[in-house]
Amino acid sequence: MYYSAIMLPVSAVCGGIYRATIRTLRTRNIPLNHRLSSGGRVLAGLADADTIFALSSGHGRCGVAVVRISGSAAATALRCMVGLGNQLPPPRTALLRSITDPHSKEVLDRGLVLWFPAPHSFTGEDSVEFHIHGGPAVITAVLQALGSVPGMRPADAGEFTRRAFHAGKLDLTEVEGLGDLIHAETEAQRRQALRQMSGELGRLYQNWSHRLKRTLAHVEAFIDFSEDELIEEGVLDQVDISVCDLQTEIEQHLKDERRGERLRSGVHVVIAGATNAGKSSLLNTLCQRPAAIVSPIAGTTRDVVESALDIGGFPVLLSDTAGLRDSPDLVEQEGVRRARERVQQADLTLLVVDSTILPSEEQEAAALLLEHLRSVLSSQDQSGAGRCLLVLNKTDLLPEAQREKLNLGLRRVSGLPPVCLISCQTNEGLKDFLTVLQSSVKTMCGDPLSGAPTLTQARHRAHLQHCVAALAQYRRYRDSDLALAAEGVRLALTSLGRITGRVGAEEILDIIFKDFCIGK
Amino acid sequence: MSHMLTKKLPPVQSVLFLVSRRASQLSRQRYDVIVVGGGHAGTEAAAAAARVGAETLLVTQKIQTIGALSCNPSLGGVGKGHLVREVDALDGLCGRAGDWAGINFSVLNRSKGPAVWGLRAQLDRQRYREFIQAELLSTPRLKVLEGSVEELLVSDPNPAEPGHHRVTGIRLANGSQPISASSVVLTTGTFLSGSLFVGRTSSPGGRIGDAPSSSGLTQTLRDQLGLRVGRLRTGTPPRLLKDSVDLSLAKLHPPDRQPTPFSFTNTQTRCKPEEQLPCYLTYTTPGVERVVRESLHLNCHIQQDAKGPRYCPSIESRVLRFPGRSHQVWLEPEGLTSDLLYPQGLSMTMPPDVQLRLIREIPPLHRAEIHTPGYGVQYDYVCPTQLSPALQVKNTQGLFLAGQINGTTGYEEAAAQGLWAGVNAARRALSQPPAALSRTESYIGVLVDDLVSRGVTEPYRMFTSRAEFRTSLRPDNADLRLTMKGFELGCVSAVRHHEAVRVRCSLQNAIAALQALTMSSTSWRKKLPGISMSENKSQTLSGMDLLEYKDVSFEILASVFPECLSPYMEFSQRLKIEAVYKPHNDQNRSEIKRIQSEENMSLPQDIDYFTLPVSLSQEVREILDRFRPTTLGAATRLQGMTPAAIANLFNYVHFTRRRESRRKQADHEEERGEEPCRRNASLPQ
Repeated sequence: MYYSAIMLPVSAVCGGIYRATIRTLRTRNIPLNHRLSSGGRVLAGLADADTIFALSSGHGRCGVAVVRISGSAAATALRCMVGLGNQLPPPRTALLRSITDPHSKEVLDRGLVLWFPAPHSFTGEDSVEFHIHGGPAVITAVLQALGSVPGMRPADAGEFTRRAFHAGKLDLTEVEGLGDLIHAETEAQRRQALRQMSGELGRLYQNWSHRLKRTLAHVEAFIDFSEDELIEEGVLDQVDISVCDLQTEIEQHLKDERRGERLRSGVHVVIAGATNAGKSSLLNTLCQRPAAIVSPIAGTTRDVVESALDIGGFPVLLSDTAGLRDSPDLVEQEGVRRARERVQQADLTLLVVDSTILPSEEQEAAALLLEHLRSVLSSQDQSGAGRCLLVLNKTDLLPEAQREKLNLGLRRVSGLPPVCLISCQTNEGLKDFLTVLQSSVKTMCGDPLSGAPTLTQARHRAHLQHCVAALAQYRRYRDSDLALAAEGVRLALTSLGRITGRVGAEEILDIIFKDFCIGK
Repeated sequence: MSHMLTKKLPPVQSVLFLVSRRASQLSRQRYDVIVVGGGHAGTEAAAAAARVGAETLLVTQKIQTIGALSCNPSLGGVGKGHLVREVDALDGLCGRAGDWAGINFSVLNRSKGPAVWGLRAQLDRQRYREFIQAELLSTPRLKVLEGSVEELLVSDPNPAEPGHHRVTGIRLANGSQPISASSVVLTTGTFLSGSLFVGRTSSPGGRIGDAPSSSGLTQTLRDQLGLRVGRLRTGTPPRLLKDSVDLSLAKLHPPDRQPTPFSFTNTQTRCKPEEQLPCYLTYTTPGVERVVRESLHLNCHIQQDAKGPRYCPSIESRVLRFPGRSHQVWLEPEGLTSDLLYPQGLSMTMPPDVQLRLIREIPPLHRAEIHTPGYGVQYDYVCPTQLSPALQVKNTQGLFLAGQINGTTGYEEAAAQGLWAGVNAARRALSQPPAALSRTESYIGVLVDDLVSRGVTEPYRMFTSRAEFRTSLRPDNADLRLTMKGFELGCVSAVRHHEAVRVRCSLQNAIAALQALTMSSTSWRKKLPGISMSENKSQTLSGMDLLEYKDVSFEILASVFPECLSPYMEFSQRLKIEAVYKPHNDQNRSEIKRIQSEENMSLPQDIDYFTLPVSLSQEVREILDRFRPTTLGAATRLQGMTPAAIANLFNYVHFTRRRESRRKQADHEEERGEEPCRRNASLPQ
C-alpha cells in the first residue's frame, strides 16, 4: 500500500493528461542550489509549510479516483471546495458532498469527502481525501481547483510517504522497506535512470549540464578573479552566446509537442461530432466490443466513455463523448460541456460526421464540413486543425457514385484535415482509416528509435522550464548586476541538476582553474 | 564615527617593554584561554577571547612580529573583503587595522553588483603592525608573553563531555612552570613542522628570520592526540628595491578616488585620499618561462608533491601549467616610507641568483635589485574535519585550532577563524555553550562549514562562488547579519551594538516608508519623468519597487518625497542595494530556513556508526565515521551520502531525542508526584 501511495502520485501528477497541474508546477518558485543537496530533498518536508495534493489512485479508466491533500491548508481547501458552512466534517467519516471550484463555485463533481485531522492521518498532518469519479476531466478539474488554493502545490514524488515517515507514522521496519524507494532518488540512480531513459536523451542532458557548468564557471571566474587576473570581458561575451544557445536549444526541445510523454502515458484521442453521427459505434468498432451503448436515439451518450487501445504498438486512450447540440436537458448540457472540454484537451480529435447529410456537390460538402470543424474545434488554436481526422460514417447508406465523388473530391480541398469514409455497420473503409489513425498517432509519439530525443517525463519538462526561465534571469541582469545574473545561471544549473545530478561549488572551481590561469 | 582614527596609538615600544616579561614574572599561572601564535588568527583569537570576558594569554615567539604581514602587503579582495567586513561586524581587529594602515583603497568588482564588491587595500606593513600591537596591548584581560611553546599539557577528559583527551595548559621551552588554562587556541601558521626552501637548500622554519617552532607541539598533536595531519606548501616572492625598478615601463593603476573603509565604525580612512600610493601592472615575457625551465633542476620546492594553492601559484607553476602566455605581475607598495616593492604574482623558490635573472626578464625590472629573495614553505596542517564547528578538536576538550594550521591560506581566512575560535575558546572557559554560525548567514559560516565538514585538499581560500546565498551575504549588510548576534555571544561592545541596532531600525523604517509610497505606474511616470518603465499602466508600484530600477536612486526618490524619505539619506546606498536584492532574497528565505533547521539538528558526537541500529550501507557508515558530521545539515553535504541514509539518520536522531524528552518529562512529573493524566483532567474546559 505504501508502494501505491508513493508511486501513483508521480505518474498521476506528471502524467500526460494533467496539463493543468503541470502549469501549476511551472509557476512555483524556482528552487535553489541547496534543494539539490541529496539529503536536502529527503528532508524537504521538514520545514515545508506547503500543503501538498495529488491523485493517489491510478489514472485512466477507473470508477473512483482518490485525491489526497496533506498539510496545514487542507482544512481551508476542504472548506472552500465543499459546501460545509464554516464547520469541518466529523473526523474520519465519509460524507457525500458536491465538490466545487473555489473561485467559480462551479460544481466539479459529487463524491465522498473525508477529513483526517492531525495527527491521526497517514502523514500525521491535517489531511483530506476526495473520492471522486474517475474520469480524467473530473480529476483534472479537481486538481486544478486545488492548485488554485493559496499555499497548495502538487506533491513531489513520494512526498506523502516522506511526510508520514518524518511524522513518525512508520516504524523502523517499515522505514527499511522504504529505503529502496527513497534510494531511487539518489544521484547515482538518477543518473542511471537518465542513462536508461534513452541513450540519446541522457547524452543531450549531460551535454547541456556540461555546457552550463562551464558557463557558470566562466561567470564565476569573471566575478571572483577578473579584477586581478587576465580574464577579459570576452569571457562574458562567450557566456552570453552559450546562455543564448542553451536557452534556444532547451526551448526547442520543450516544443516537441509532448511526444515522449505521450509515448509513456498514451495519446488522448477523442471522438466528437453531432448527435447520432455514429460516434459510439466507432468506439465500439475500434474496441471490438460494445463499450458504449448504441441506439438510434439522438443523445444516447451523455458522459465521457473511455477505452484504452493499442494502435500499431502505440498506447491510445480513446474517449467517446456526448453529441454536440443545444439541449434543454441539464444532464445532456453537462455532457456537451464535458465533450467540448475533452476536445480541447485531446491530442487528436476524430470528428465523426453522418455522410448521408452531406450535400452531393463536393464543394458544398467541403464548406459544410469546414463550418462543422470550426464549431467543434472553435476554442482550439490554429494548430488544432492539424490534430483532427474527419470520419465520414454511414457510407453504406450512400450510393456508390456519391461515395467515390466524396472520397476523391474532398481530398482535393485544402484546409480540410485527412478524410476517411467508413461504415461502422459493414466495416467498409475501416482498414484505410486505421492506417491513417496509426500514422497520426505515430507522428505524435515520435519514433522512439530514431530522430531527435524526446522528453519522456513531465518532471523533466518542469525542470527544463525552470532552467529556461532562470537563463532569462541571466540576460535580464547581465549588464546591471552580474551577481544576480550569475544567480540565474546557478538556478538554471540547479534545475538541470535535478535531472542530471547535483553540481557542487568545488566542481565549478575545478573548471575555473582548468580554464584560467589564476595567479593572484 | 571616526573616533578610532583620531585617537593616538600608544607608543608601542614602551608598552612592549612592559609586557615582554618572562613567564616567571607573569601575574598568574592560570588563564581562561591561552592563544599560541601572534599572526592574523592568533591576534583575533586573543582579542576576541578577552572581549568575551576570558582572562587571556597570548604567547608568541617575538612580540615584534605580532601583526606582521608575512606575505603580501594587502588586505581584502573579492570574497576576502567579505570576511574582513564580517570580522569587523563581530568587533574584530583586521578591518579597523586595515583602515589605519591602508595606503591604497579600491573596491573591486564595482561594476558587477554590490553582492560581489570586493573591498581591498594595500597596506603599510609598519602601520598595520603598530595598530594590532597597540590594540592588543591595551585590551583588558589580555596579557602578551614572549616565548616558545614546548608542549601542550593533556590529561584525561571530563567524562561529562565528548572527547578522549582534555587540554589543561602549555609548557614553555625555557623550562619554566607550566601555565594552565581551560582552553588553548593553536594558531601556529606555517610553523608546524615547517621547512623553508630556496633553490636546492631547505631549512626548518615557518618564516624567514624566525626560529622554527619546537617539534614537541607537532608530536603532541600527532602522537599523543592521534590527529591526522597533511602537508601543504606555499611561497612568497622576492622583495625588490623600489629605486632599482623603472616604473615608467609599467602601467599605473591608481586607487579609488574616495577610499571605502573596511570597518563599519569608520567613515573615512587614516590615509587621506590624495596621499594614497598607486600600484603598477606589468607582464611576464618569454624569457621568464625560459629561466624557469632552465632552472627546474635547481628548484626542489617545485619538485615536491605537497599541494600548493591553485589560485596563488608560484611563477614556476604558472608558466609550466599555462606555457606560452604572458602573466600579470603587480608591483605593490610596501608602505608610505618603505623603499621596497612587492611583485605580486612572482612567488618563486629557485636559487637567489636565478631569481635575479628571472625578474630582469621583465621590462620594468631590467635593473631591479632583490632585497630579500623569494622562498617556499612546506608545513603540516591538521585535517580540519577533526574539528567541531566551534573549531575545537573533537577528540580533545579545550583545544582549538585556527588559521593555516587548518589548511587555509590568506590573512582574512585566518582572522575569521581566529575570531571564531577565540569566541568559542572563551565561551568554553566561561562554561557557556559553543556558538554556531550558519553558512546561510555569513561567509565565516561558509568557511567553517567547508573546513569541518568537507576538509581540504589544497590551501583553502574564500571565493564568493562558495556561498550559496551570495546575494544575501553582502559586504554592505554584514553588520545586520552579525553584530547583534556577536553582542549576544559577548564579542561585540555595547557601543557598537547600539549603533547596529540604530542602523537596523532606520533601515526598517526607511523600507517601510518606501513600501508605503504606492502609486500607479502612470503616476510614478509623472513624478519621475526621466524614468522608463516597462510595467503596464494599471500596475501599482511602491517606492521599493521603483528603487529596483537601474536609473532610480534613493536620492531621486527623496527629492520627490522629502518629508518621508529625507531622514534616511545617510543610508541611501544601502537602501538602493536592499531594493535590488530584496525580491531574490525573499525567494531564498524558505530555502535558508530549511537549511537552518537541518543545521539545528545535531548529531551526537559519540555515536558508533558501525553498530548504529539503522539501515545504513557500510560505505555510508565509513563516511560518517570518518567525518563525524556535527549536524544533519553537515551530513547532507558529505560526498557519498545518500538521501536514504540521511532519512534514516534523521529518523534515528529524531526518535532518540523524542524518547529522551519524553523520559525527562516523565521523570520530572514523577518528581512532582503527579499523574500526568490527572493534571490534564483538572484543566478547565
